[in-house]
Amino acid sequence: MKGFTHFVSGIAVATFFPQAVHMATQDSSFILCLGGVFGIMPDTLDFKFARYFHVSEFEVWPDPKKLDAHQIASTVAAALEKANESGRSSVQLHTMQLGANLWRSYTLWFDTKNNEVVVEMGPLVDTGTMPFIGTEVKENAISRVKVSSKFRQQFDKKSNIAIMSGPCFEFVRRGENDIEIVFLPWHRTWSHSLTLGLVTSLVVGAITYFTVPEGANALLYTIPRWMLYPLIIFCGSLVHIVEDSTGFMGNNLFYPFTPDRTNGLGWMSAAEGIPNFLFVWTAFMLIIWNLDRNRWMPDMNPSGIGSTESFFFWYLAVPIALMIFFFFKGKNERAEARAKKSADKKDIGDGKPDFDGETAVERETDASIL
Amino acid sequence: MVMHPANLDLVYFCLLGVLASGLVSFLPALHIYNVLGIFLLFVLKFEHAMTYMQLSSLAIGMIVGYSILNTVPSTYLGPGDESMSYYVLPGAQWMGQGKGYESIILTGIGALGGLILLAALAPVFLWILPGLKVITSPHMFWILGAVIAYMILSEWPKGVSQSRSTWANFFEGWGFLAVGLATFLLSGLLGFIVMAKTMVPLDFAFQSITPVFVGLFALPWLITNIINIGVIPKQHIATTLDLDWDLFVRGIFSGFLGGFFAAFIPIVTAGVGGLMAGHATAQRDTRLFVMSYGTCKTVYYVGSFFLFFIPGLSLTRGGLAWILMPMATTITLQEYAIFVGLMLFAAGVSFLLLGPFTQLCISLVERVDYHKVSIVTMIGLIPMTYIYTGFGGLMIMTVATGIGLLPVMFQARRMNLMGVLLLPVCLNMAGYGNDVLRLLGLL
Repeated sequence: MKGFTHFVSGIAVATFFPQAVHMATQDSSFILCLGGVFGIMPDTLDFKFARYFHVSEFEVWPDPKKLDAHQIASTVAAALEKANESGRSSVQLHTMQLGANLWRSYTLWFDTKNNEVVVEMGPLVDTGTMPFIGTEVKENAISRVKVSSKFRQQFDKKSNIAIMSGPCFEFVRRGENDIEIVFLPWHRTWSHSLTLGLVTSLVVGAITYFTVPEGANALLYTIPRWMLYPLIIFCGSLVHIVEDSTGFMGNNLFYPFTPDRTNGLGWMSAAEGIPNFLFVWTAFMLIIWNLDRNRWMPDMNPSGIGSTESFFFWYLAVPIALMIFFFFKGKNERAEARAKKSADKKDIGDGKPDFDGETAVERETDASIL
Repeated sequence: MVMHPANLDLVYFCLLGVLASGLVSFLPALHIYNVLGIFLLFVLKFEHAMTYMQLSSLAIGMIVGYSILNTVPSTYLGPGDESMSYYVLPGAQWMGQGKGYESIILTGIGALGGLILLAALAPVFLWILPGLKVITSPHMFWILGAVIAYMILSEWPKGVSQSRSTWANFFEGWGFLAVGLATFLLSGLLGFIVMAKTMVPLDFAFQSITPVFVGLFALPWLITNIINIGVIPKQHIATTLDLDWDLFVRGIFSGFLGGFFAAFIPIVTAGVGGLMAGHATAQRDTRLFVMSYGTCKTVYYVGSFFLFFIPGLSLTRGGLAWILMPMATTITLQEYAIFVGLMLFAAGVSFLLLGPFTQLCISLVERVDYHKVSIVTMIGLIPMTYIYTGFGGLMIMTVATGIGLLPVMFQARRMNLMGVLLLPVCLNMAGYGNDVLRLLGLL
């Protein structure tokens, strides 16, 4: 899911604590923001820290002056062979920057049917990945390198490597002659685990236990004030993990007890518009409902929501039903289009893969998209 | 109702407002409310000759016209505020490909769609906004705090990470983030200073924010234009647009959300609202971005003024509403309906003017050297700031320019410059403003 979705969901979870809402209005506390901050924190840890400290055994440094698709494909294939021998290896692909706003693009595809790594040099592009027509490479533009073992991947799209930093792949031997390709091995691992959420909350709880005094009207609440902070932090990071589990990439829930991330439920893709908006809308409505029902001195301050039933029907049930309808309508239309496209391909026998599969949008290295 | 003979004077004033906004919006690189403030100061001399509704109609025409037509000089001459600078980067990219006209028309379609949606929802607002105001009013400070937190946290590292050293890659990526953070904090500090100890003469106190905006947004853009050796390529006057219903609906919907959020929450601008709505709806297509931006900024500008006219809501957002507030009377449902009609009328007229207005601007920048236009604009801005805000204003502008150049030079988000308002207002609303001022020795 997008960072904003996690952020708003984290705030929504925090508003379920009446004392936190009261602290906001009565003590000018920013505690509700804490849910949002820790809602987005797992991605912050990945894209601002973890990515820099992952070391790949193989790195591809394509030379923009001497373009050679074979050199790239053979390095990736060598990494796959290494994984087949030793159990695990990874490769980092780098981009080719030619100017402030000029890059040479190339694509990488793992042809699982023929056990081949396929690399194709692409045109020059600007930083907005807009191609410059007529800059396509004529010689050594495509290379296919055969790998001795079979491999598989969850994602079905080829990677377009063009601007900023390139993608990283990990290859893990899962069985005899069976290698799994893991996209962005540093993403959604320790940072997206229940373990980290728990440890962070315990540390924060230890600090707040000694530093946060009980507030006024403590008898009104069942949870002591010091405990609110770790609870909101835990719930904020938990909601992030739950939301991400609905996508394809999944999380590593029990790091370090489990070595790899497990696949998500695959209900929706992380960067799709409707699912993101569904979560954002639901979170916003829950925030409004919680702020209203948890308002300070409800007998003295009027409610902004007339009827709860009416609120839930008009602002949650109806919009969610509409979004689900349009989501499945779009999904079916895309599936039909893909089926038609692959049928056409069979007819003409071009043998090229479907580069725009439904997991395509999760196949990004750009944090702003993920 | 709008076309009723008794209301034709209002239509006339609204039209006058749209035409005036065309002239006003050509004053490049100035913030809308400062320009409208100066214009209205002149108009208010005729206060006794104009009724409140006539003045409001004039203001409606101006704000609608400005919000639609201002895209043109902002694309070709530079942005005047953060709401504009959010659009300027993709806008400049399209302009660099000779598609400036297309991008402007696309924002115009977005604006028109946004205002039609605003008008369609006008009856619904009567029902939902009073309740929303009751619920959110005590929480505005932390909502602003959340906006700030998201702005900072959602800026991701840039860089190619091609060094063999892990730490070199780390510092490369974090360099951009550090500049963004420094920009936000420095502009926030400037905001505290300007709000607590303005150096602008009291007579022009209503313009105290002008030198800040000129420095933060206008001058850095003009300096970039002057330094940049690039030339504007031949601009293609498109007769058709690459746009389908799906894109149209998504663009309007997303832009409306961002614009309305920015209009409803104080200090939040169209740029910030647009960013959040774009993320909420997972926006990726540049056409979608450009069009939804048109919706977002128009709904923000017009919507914040629109809130002022909702009977029983008593919500004053945006500079123009504050300017009109002293003359405000109780607004009836009929007046509200007239306002909605005038808004649509102004939107239609402004959209019709958008094409010729863009062509006029294109012919200007194609004939006159772009660098010269930027230099002349800059030379004009500095004395104008001096005239309206004195030597103190000039000093503020100089400091603000230094801060405004940070994101330009180091490719950080310009949106961080909104710290100038977001940080002091958020902390003041929470009641911590005086503590910060004491800490800074300003109190």
